[in-house]
Amino acid sequence: MATADIEAKVIQFIASKVENVDASAVTAASQFKDLGLDSMDTVQLLFDAEEEFGVTFDGDEVKNLRTVGDIIDYINSHPPAAPQ
Amino acid sequence: MRVVVTGMGVIAPIGTGVEQFWNAAVNGICGIRKISSFDASGQRSQIAGEIIGFDPASVMSAKQIEQSDRFTQLALCAANFALKDAGDLDGYLPQRVAVSLGSGMGGFSTFESSATRKFQKKSLPPFTVPRIMANSAAAWIASKYGFKGVNLTTSTACSSGGNAIGVGLELIRSGKADVVIAGGAEACVLPLTMSGFEVLFALSTGFNNTPEQASRPFDKGRDGFVIGEGAGIVVLEREEHAKQRGALIHAYLSGYGCTCDAAHIVAPEMEGQVAAMQAAIQDAQIQPEAVDYINAHATSTPLGDIVETKAIKQCFGSHAQKLSISATKSMIGHSIGASAAIGSIATIMALKTGTIHPTINLVAPDPECDLDYTANHAVRKPIQVGLCNAFGFGGNNSTLVFTIN
Repeated sequence: MATADIEAKVIQFIASKVENVDASAVTAASQFKDLGLDSMDTVQLLFDAEEEFGVTFDGDEVKNLRTVGDIIDYINSHPPAAPQ
Repeated sequence: MRVVVTGMGVIAPIGTGVEQFWNAAVNGICGIRKISSFDASGQRSQIAGEIIGFDPASVMSAKQIEQSDRFTQLALCAANFALKDAGDLDGYLPQRVAVSLGSGMGGFSTFESSATRKFQKKSLPPFTVPRIMANSAAAWIASKYGFKGVNLTTSTACSSGGNAIGVGLELIRSGKADVVIAGGAEACVLPLTMSGFEVLFALSTGFNNTPEQASRPFDKGRDGFVIGEGAGIVVLEREEHAKQRGALIHAYLSGYGCTCDAAHIVAPEMEGQVAAMQAAIQDAQIQPEAVDYINAHATSTPLGDIVETKAIKQCFGSHAQKLSISATKSMIGHSIGASAAIGSIATIMALKTGTIHPTINLVAPDPECDLDYTANHAVRKPIQVGLCNAFGFGGNNSTLVFTIN
């Protein structure tokens, strides 16, 4: 998947998950807390993103993920394994 | 002080809401089918009383659904019905409204799915623990409605719902609460849970192709219980408070007894069951001869139905022959921690309507089961006093007494 495609897909995915925030307000620069997500909501979002994009967020690195762009960058730098 | 039931809510394989449930029950409708929620071809017992098409979105947001197990969702659905039925509780202080819930397994649907993921080395859903914990249903009811009083969960296997309602009675009597949302919820039509019962030879395995005939309490062809799911919730309050706010009183919760066999971890014993019924009758300050009806535990296991029959005979003597008895599980299977809560609602409806729902599939009674089990057809009979029995693994025995006056 092209980098631009991933960015658009991640933004669209996160926009579908947040409540009480206008979808157009979700950008790569959006911080999770600005999208109304508390720490548990964020962990849930990352879990859902793992399922959606076929990646596994490393336990230690998860703590450094604060923005939508961080997820996009993580997926870009950890491409899912090709199907066997 | 007397305690009354002013609200009832149920979700069961034969109906959602008391009216639909009761209409099906008096007509002997069976809710047991081939399992549809997972591929049960590897199970010895491939049938269950499932709630088909349950949509938690009727009572919860998408986010709340994601954060809760199915047993919590069923509990919230039943609580929603019960609270609508009870009417306006705004006159009560939130700190005086308690929740007392029963569940045998808690969030086992989440437990099984998260365990599978863990063993596959996949990430765990972050709400794994808050979904599994047994008190999550009680906590969700409290937070949804703002009930800030006592919040308890009783887990005594198959008698959990009965004990939770009994605890509710005691909370009001002791002055620790003015209102109690009490009942039970279970959602354990699941491969691991069922396999656990299968290895104990507790489940019916001989009716996989005729599921509607599988749950047959007191019939000589019975071969084990059928797993089920559901929730039953009642609203309890002091009689004078209910009258002050103009609530409709469905019945009195007049007595509660709980005992332990203190013997085998799974096999039932007659003496403990007799003691529970006696304790409940004594607590209600009535004579055994005043009892008209027993909603029996009656799971359709070869041993259990005989032991309960013997216990009823021992407790009531010659009056046992005059009692009407029926087994709700013949139609909905055994919903473990919810079963006595649903059975309590069936008992209250029998008192209210003067109709006793049948025990279906009672074609050829076991010679050792020789009481009046209301075989196959409902019976019209005005009744004043009804018992609801529930006996659980661990030798736990619970009996509730409901009365019309």
